[in-house]
Amino acid sequence: MLKKYKPFLRAGAIDTMAYRFNILMWALITVFEVACLVFLWLAVYRSSAGGMDAEIHGFTYREMISYVVLTTVFGFITFNNDTLWNINNDIRKGTVGNYLIKPISYRGKFAATSLGSLLTMTVMFGVPFYTAALVTLRALGFLPDLNFPGFFAHLVLFLISGLCASLLNDVIAYIFGVLCFYTTAAWGLNSLKTTVISFLSGTLLPLAFFPAGLRELVSWMPFAGMSQNPVLILMMKYDLAESLRCVALSTAWIVVLELFAKLLFSHAVRKVTVQGG
Amino acid sequence: MIEVKELTKVFRKPIRGEGLSGMVKTLFSRKYEEVRAVDGISFTVPDGEIVGYIGANGAGKSTTIKMMCGILTPTSGSVLVDGLEPYRKRRQVAQNIGVVFGQKTQLWWDIPLIESFKVLKEIYQISDADYKERMAFLGEVLDITRFLSQPVRTLSLGERMRADLAASMLHNPRILFLDEPTIGLDVLVKEKIRQAIHALNRTYGTTVVLTTHDMTDIEDLCSRIILLEKGSILYDGPLTSLKNRFGNLKTLTLTVPAEIRAETAPVLSEEIALAEEDGRLVLRFDADKIALEQVIQYAFRDLRAMDMKIADISIGDVVKTILEQQEAEHAEKV
Amino acid sequence: MRYVHLYFTCIKRSMISRLEYKKDTVVALFSFFFSNFCSLAAIYFILQAIPALAGYSLYEVGFFYGFSMLPIALDHLFSDEFWLVAYRRVKEGDMDMLFLRPVPVMFQVFAETFQPEGFGELILGVALIAVCSANLTVKVTFGAVAVLCVGAVFGAVIITSLKVAMAALAFIFKRSGPLLQVIYNFSSYAKYPLAIYPALVRALLIFVLPFGLFISLPVDTLLHGAHNPWLLCGAIIGCAAVFFALAVWVWTACERRYESTGS
Repeated sequence: MLKKYKPFLRAGAIDTMAYRFNILMWALITVFEVACLVFLWLAVYRSSAGGMDAEIHGFTYREMISYVVLTTVFGFITFNNDTLWNINNDIRKGTVGNYLIKPISYRGKFAATSLGSLLTMTVMFGVPFYTAALVTLRALGFLPDLNFPGFFAHLVLFLISGLCASLLNDVIAYIFGVLCFYTTAAWGLNSLKTTVISFLSGTLLPLAFFPAGLRELVSWMPFAGMSQNPVLILMMKYDLAESLRCVALSTAWIVVLELFAKLLFSHAVRKVTVQGG
Repeated sequence: MIEVKELTKVFRKPIRGEGLSGMVKTLFSRKYEEVRAVDGISFTVPDGEIVGYIGANGAGKSTTIKMMCGILTPTSGSVLVDGLEPYRKRRQVAQNIGVVFGQKTQLWWDIPLIESFKVLKEIYQISDADYKERMAFLGEVLDITRFLSQPVRTLSLGERMRADLAASMLHNPRILFLDEPTIGLDVLVKEKIRQAIHALNRTYGTTVVLTTHDMTDIEDLCSRIILLEKGSILYDGPLTSLKNRFGNLKTLTLTVPAEIRAETAPVLSEEIALAEEDGRLVLRFDADKIALEQVIQYAFRDLRAMDMKIADISIGDVVKTILEQQEAEHAEKV
Repeated sequence: MRYVHLYFTCIKRSMISRLEYKKDTVVALFSFFFSNFCSLAAIYFILQAIPALAGYSLYEVGFFYGFSMLPIALDHLFSDEFWLVAYRRVKEGDMDMLFLRPVPVMFQVFAETFQPEGFGELILGVALIAVCSANLTVKVTFGAVAVLCVGAVFGAVIITSLKVAMAALAFIFKRSGPLLQVIYNFSSYAKYPLAIYPALVRALLIFVLPFGLFISLPVDTLLHGAHNPWLLCGAIIGCAAVFFALAVWVWTACERRYESTGS
């Protein structure tokens, strides 16, 4: 049953490997972005009422810098996703019809491709980047001691929540991709998607900085599980119970969004077949 | 006038591995191979000639055309277009040439065709009077007036190709380079395009260099062909003498009873080659060596033909024969 | 004169193309405003937690953000096609047509797209400046206003020059988009006062990738009278001239090495 998606898994892996040079260039861009954020946060703490020892919304400056670095690495590994563009290409070239008559699901194809890409990214870039980040942050004293039995449980939960984050990201990208059936503004949709995710997932700044009402609302949305929660699990800022709650919430959202994506896709396809496009 | 001397182009291409393991290998090392796409060719095209440039895929046709219009620089040798080297004097040469690459359009995708022409009018500094005259001429020979106000993306392939041709002819270039101008088009559109090229050549004396896979294009249009294989010229000369070089070749296509097969049929002479094609029996022979009359008799009597078609050998067959000969010679040398 | 006429003909063409996609422009504009809204909200949330950022109040930081949009917007209006050159057009062999026309290739790239979205950025930038100024008590001098105008206009020239030079590298490497992105993204550093950066980064932002020179220093001049406006004007214009000359030189050198693909 799942075997027929294996070629797509492979294709995702191969593609990611073929674009390794671009990915490294992108890593360079990301390093400069992180540097800018680190400078900004250092200035924020320096300017705060309590000085460098202050704790702002539950974060010391050491934790904040660790958070910024780790969310960036996390986003870099997890959000490497071409689903929206590929759907848009299929629509513009008219090849989407080819998939409607094949015995595989269009959604499954992209999920498999993204998973293949995620695995390659994690092995090729994730392992070295996370190790470098964790070792450096630990050496600078920004992270607490990674005492092993405890950290191991968090590491496992981090990997699970990371997988959830990637699946959430892919299904959201898929939903935005299907919206390309209704408009040709793929570029605008993509930047809208990126903005929504980076703002509401806590990548831009931790959700703790949001006003109370907004924070409560956002904490029930799927986005926090896409960046902030996995990283706080890894940093051991969440205890095991809280971590498990996060994973459960993400899983529930995956189910809901997959169902929504299915409905949206069938509506979009009906629209296309009616118009004969 | 185009003068090509000892023209050579060598590409360096990375060798890529296959599949996942090959991909991993190329992570660590990258090897290059040198490809001699064009290998020391020379020829001259005088003004007003229509030259057909033919050969298999990868024979070096597009590479030569691209060097002649200045977007590829030769590795060695030279091209002179009206005395200028196109890859050095790109802008001056551009004013005097028109180019169509069959696979790519030079028109703007989203705007009505006429708007593309208006932009080209400014780019090539065409005067109002000339523009009017050209549009009338092109509108007539290419029949594009009907869809001038449609965006290019809504045009059919045939319409788009006619529009592209019109765009390349708008500034009355002295030389027209056409790379596969009839690819993927239906017979009627092909015919219209050939007529337009003829009309242009007659009316303005435009030199035309075209590549094609369609042998009818060649027979209809070209007084001269240049046959290219693996970057070298195999034949350069008029179409008729190419045919004559192979004698008075003819093909006889027969409908015969099922029990008559090419391998087992009675043989009249070694001069006749028999083959089965699409369930029919095809006889190829040189009418200078064996009389046509004799072959026809043989076909009815020995092969019990029920129906028959006689044709001169097609240019496609000639090219095929030359390539086969070439290969055979090559094999002998090795 | 011929090129001015030709430019307007091409721009008209570009606008006709845009009108084919009205709905898309709306989506693009919406996503643009939303993304800026999020960035501003983030800055606002951060500044709620502290009294001031390196001595700059909320409205001063907002003024920085607004002003940094102006040169970027002007560049965006005129030179968007260079992104495509850097990322796609050379690689996909889509530049051949430009090389077959009797007009300079760089001119054709400029004339290919006029990006009206840039007006959105201009309007948002100006609005932000207006709102923030209304809440600030600054002594507006003629010199400070002059240096802001010079910073916006010649800053755009500098950004465009960087873009042209980076895009030109695609003629040699087939694809230079990521490199252009690296350089271009440094503009986000200029959204904040230079005071938040260490000395080395500050020097880099003034002397190497001079986003700080034409964004941060002019704003500091208005807000705090930090620099001599006329000297600063001279420095910015001189810098723009040098960058522009370098860009043309790099482009010409790279363009000469352009080759189409083999097949």
